[in-house]
Amino acid sequence: MGCSSSLPDRASGQLLGLNHESAGAGANDSKNLRVKLVLLGDSGVGKSCIVLRFVRGQFDPTSKVTVGASFLSQTIALQDSTTVKFEIWDTAGQERYAALAPLYYRGAAVAVVVYDITSTDSFNKAQYWIKELQKHGSPDIIMALVGNKADLQENRKVPTQDAMDCAEKNGMFFIETSAKTADNINQLFEEIAKRLPRPSSS
Amino acid sequence: MESSRSLTFYDFLDRMRHPAALDIVRSIKSFIVSFSFHAVNSENDSRRLQDFLSTMEISIRDHPLWSGASEEEIDCAVEGLEKYVMTKLYARTFASTQEDNKVDQEISEKIHMLQKFVRPEHLDIHEAFHNEASWLLAEKELQKMNAFKSPREKLLCILSCCRVINNLLLNVSMSGNHVVAGADDFLPVLIYVTIKANPPQLHSNLKFIQLFRQPSKLVSEVAYYFTNLMSAKLFIVDLDGKSLSINEAEFQENMLAAKLELQMNMLPARLAEGETRIDPCPPLQKARPTAHGHFSRKFSEEINALDEGDYPFMEAKFGDLTVGDVEILLNVYKDVVKKHSSLCRSLRSLSPSKEPPAIVLSEYPKLDLPGQPEGQRQQHQQTKEAKLDLPGQPEGQRQQHQQTPDVIDSGPK
Repeated sequence: MGCSSSLPDRASGQLLGLNHESAGAGANDSKNLRVKLVLLGDSGVGKSCIVLRFVRGQFDPTSKVTVGASFLSQTIALQDSTTVKFEIWDTAGQERYAALAPLYYRGAAVAVVVYDITSTDSFNKAQYWIKELQKHGSPDIIMALVGNKADLQENRKVPTQDAMDCAEKNGMFFIETSAKTADNINQLFEEIAKRLPRPSSS
Repeated sequence: MESSRSLTFYDFLDRMRHPAALDIVRSIKSFIVSFSFHAVNSENDSRRLQDFLSTMEISIRDHPLWSGASEEEIDCAVEGLEKYVMTKLYARTFASTQEDNKVDQEISEKIHMLQKFVRPEHLDIHEAFHNEASWLLAEKELQKMNAFKSPREKLLCILSCCRVINNLLLNVSMSGNHVVAGADDFLPVLIYVTIKANPPQLHSNLKFIQLFRQPSKLVSEVAYYFTNLMSAKLFIVDLDGKSLSINEAEFQENMLAAKLELQMNMLPARLAEGETRIDPCPPLQKARPTAHGHFSRKFSEEINALDEGDYPFMEAKFGDLTVGDVEILLNVYKDVVKKHSSLCRSLRSLSPSKEPPAIVLSEYPKLDLPGQPEGQRQQHQQTKEAKLDLPGQPEGQRQQHQQTPDVIDSGPK
């Protein structure tokens, strides 16, 4: 509709989800990756809490600047001295905005699909997003399935095995996290970083 | 940041006046002239501009005027170039097709109707975010977008609008009244602000940015907020009763009422524009394409229902009226006269013999009615002015636009 679809897809053509931070006169730097990561999932599953925990965990935890922001970026250093700058695009999870998601995941290198382990509905919604991404996302997009609120074991409605099966079937990386306790938050992003394709250093 | 950027634009123009910049000035001029050799085609125009900017960036890097320049200075030169060229080519590149204008008009009319009844609750915006002052500020930023001619400056208006909303979210979050949930909270507020603002030529502005902003600059956070406004627009275009937390029948009713009002207000304007064939009852035809007896009857009932609300004295007796009613009566009277004269004019333009209809305006006592009601004529003039002179546009900026064309022209020949 409108100019979003009637225009050539410059965003995914040149802006790529996976950019190499250009230094100086545009030389690609294979050691510094810039990655567009989109968050999908029902509202209330804690998408933005995960990001906030990830971003604040690495910096000053008293920093208030990032509270509630829907776009955040965070750079991590890997063991092979590569740095990965995640540019994290949050999406509105309410049902009425579902049709807008393609505008956000277009050109993304990574999609993180989040559900709440205490809500079967949110897991169903996650499966919907996986299908959507397979149909309309870029073919080489890296997908992660994340079961959040793992601290609420006593209220668990989604068995870990179900989610693991789902992830395996769809070739996804799976992890359960708790934004509240910070459990597995850094692991999530580190695992994603390891799975990124590396540009051949020339 | 903005002021330092503006300075660098003048810095760019200053360098262009330097005799050593002659070759660059020539390239710019011939590029602008060459644009008119080709038929208007937004995709080709976009590619041509991007190719030109890339080529020029290389020239600038090698140019003696920029020898030893920092990356930032080169960047500013390319930004200055983008602004200069796009200001010059604005008439050709902005809202360049009839289709664009049509889409702009449709979106603007739809928003105009939505404005009449959409409330924050309909988008489930949490009460903590109900802040008229912040919303107004954000709306003003969005409305400014149309006043700028360079893609970068238009984009900055979007960013400023989003920054205002983010600050609101941040304040709410810090006050501890509500846990802010990123995009779940951000997007509904942006959509609401967009509806309230009804930014002029929304579609064309977004398209212009997408086509003519350097792709290397439409990335990261900037791209994110741009995408949000794109999706707000898409949401509004597709919006129906199911998109809002509102009873579907109530939605239809509200849209119909708003549509009627819009058609009524537009009638005199359309007449003034010299439109000769006017549908005497456009909402009826649009809403009920098949002139079915049942539907027509139902529709006139709806109209009657609306009218009863507007004319509260229909059932009143003389003795019921008080002095306090005079003001209301006067307003209702004016309203009736306005509507009547609009109808008369449209009937007159419809009748094959150019005779005025039997009902003449002079039937109304002691009212000097020119061809067009005063209030509406003013309104029409205002809309015309609004196109040229947008309230949100800063004075300096407007002068800057007017100045830009002369600067290089008066440079070296």
